[in-house]
Amino acid sequence: MNTSHVIGGVIPIGLLVFSAVMASSQEDPESVSAMLDPRGERLIIARCAVCHSADLITQQRLSRTRWQATIDKMKHWGAEISDQEADLLIGYLSARFPPNAPANVPPLSHEIGKGEPLKQEPQAPSPVIGVAARGAGVFEHNCQACHGRGAMGGMGPRLAKNPILKLDVLFRETVLYGRGPMPAWSSVLSERDIADVHEWLLTR
Amino acid sequence: MKGSGELANVSRRRWLKTLLGFGTGLVMHPAKFLAWAADMTPASDESTLTVRVSRPFEAETPVRAFTSFLTPNDHFFVRSHFGPPSAETVGESQWTLHVGGAVERSNQLTMETLKQFEPMTITAVLQCSGNGRAYHRPKVPRVQWERGAVGNAQWTGVRLRDVLQAAGVRAEARHVMFQGADRPVVATVPLFVRSIPLEKALHPDTLLAYEMNGRPLPLLHGAPLRVITPGWMAESCIKWLTHIELREDEASGYFMQTAYRVPVKSEQKDTGRTDNATAPVEVMPVKSLISSPEDGQAVMAGGVRIKGVAWAGETRIAKVEVSIDEGNTWQRAQLAGDDRLYAWRQWEFLWQAMVQGTFAIVCRATDERGHVQPAVTSWNPSGFLWNGWDRVTIRVHPS
Repeated sequence: MNTSHVIGGVIPIGLLVFSAVMASSQEDPESVSAMLDPRGERLIIARCAVCHSADLITQQRLSRTRWQATIDKMKHWGAEISDQEADLLIGYLSARFPPNAPANVPPLSHEIGKGEPLKQEPQAPSPVIGVAARGAGVFEHNCQACHGRGAMGGMGPRLAKNPILKLDVLFRETVLYGRGPMPAWSSVLSERDIADVHEWLLTR
Repeated sequence: MKGSGELANVSRRRWLKTLLGFGTGLVMHPAKFLAWAADMTPASDESTLTVRVSRPFEAETPVRAFTSFLTPNDHFFVRSHFGPPSAETVGESQWTLHVGGAVERSNQLTMETLKQFEPMTITAVLQCSGNGRAYHRPKVPRVQWERGAVGNAQWTGVRLRDVLQAAGVRAEARHVMFQGADRPVVATVPLFVRSIPLEKALHPDTLLAYEMNGRPLPLLHGAPLRVITPGWMAESCIKWLTHIELREDEASGYFMQTAYRVPVKSEQKDTGRTDNATAPVEVMPVKSLISSPEDGQAVMAGGVRIKGVAWAGETRIAKVEVSIDEGNTWQRAQLAGDDRLYAWRQWEFLWQAMVQGTFAIVCRATDERGHVQPAVTSWNPSGFLWNGWDRVTIRVHPS
């Protein structure tokens, strides 16, 4: 990976985002940091893009009140968003997509980089041993919406007895970085979560 | 890299055409379809549709296509809450239509038995209630439709009235509820269920349509069967129809009792609240669009032919007017083409552009009941029913 390229890409966007915040004077300093927190973008991919693509979000220009109401509605409809995540999302969305934001705020994917690792964790010195019982719960909260109850398939492919389970590296990378329509989960699932889900899937 | 990108584009286009009914729309595997849908990039094919949401697929028609009286199936706007159901679910071997509730005899029809009712064809405008939402101020959440979530097509099917009467409408029935085969990704999301008053359901022009512009209804447009409530906003025109239920009251649930309603009286701006009495969105208000020239287009000085369409729900268009001075003075356009109730009316205006420069061209329509298209539509919390004057800006160059 070319480091100078990455830096070259990230800094101007950071500046852009920062000046956008400065332009919207009604936001307090707290929301500035909330917006600059890249977890906001990652949460959109992990929590919202399960049901609809992120372009539905990035075309909105709403007040904080309305972003709040929208997140509440989505939670009510079953979006798996914790209170802490909701705060982060509302801060991010109302700072980045306020009513006075320009029409051409770049799509999230431009900055996130499709399928690119969001948070490079150092390679674990030894592989994490998964715990199937815990993996069931992780799967239910994060994967079931697309891959179906019992991993029997839904919008996403059936994972029970799926050949990918035998390819540990490919499985892990697919979860971390996403593949095709599947979003990257590196910001939400830890190495332990992934190992636990993998272990549980092997029992299916 | 370039090669694979082009290939992906071609495949996407083929995918869209397949879904829109140019290929064998009903044989695609659902998982495969969703994978493709998720991979759709906005405006990948500028010549057909402008994509607003890639998954579920939501796209509007570039208004230049409205120079045609009928909107072709592959140019017709696409809107649903959850995307189409799996092709298997609505395939002819599996699909049935249930008719139940307040009827004498509950009924289950196959496509073959349904087609034994007298066929009927009607030309009607379909328009998303949120068409033009992007122009409401303050901004309103949901898909930011601009001008093209509307189209005019020929719908062939059977009368809903005939189907209901065959089942025997009981005296207590007041509303007719529809449900389609589409399902949300997450089971906790309410189903898209709507109802219309019995009076509209028994109207001889209300259809259950299986053809669109003379072709089998494409999957994205509701195959194998959708409701057509001519003159009404499209959320009553349930796609992928599988269940009809006669009821004493309006359908319950989010999409009838909360969404697709507008305040009866006053509005509360940007609070997201609708404490006041609301009523379901039904009839389309009078509206006109300029289809040519396009916004931003450069034309030569001299005679400039301005074209467009106008429609007015359950009544006809009386006149269309054009203004070159922001509505201070209006000149009457010429109505042209077919004049049919529920269809849109084409219109033309020859503008003598004598001076070079940049000009805003504005149009407004008036229907036969005297309703005039307003400059700006009154704000409502969901941004529905936008019918403000249409506007394009053009540059006039010396000839």
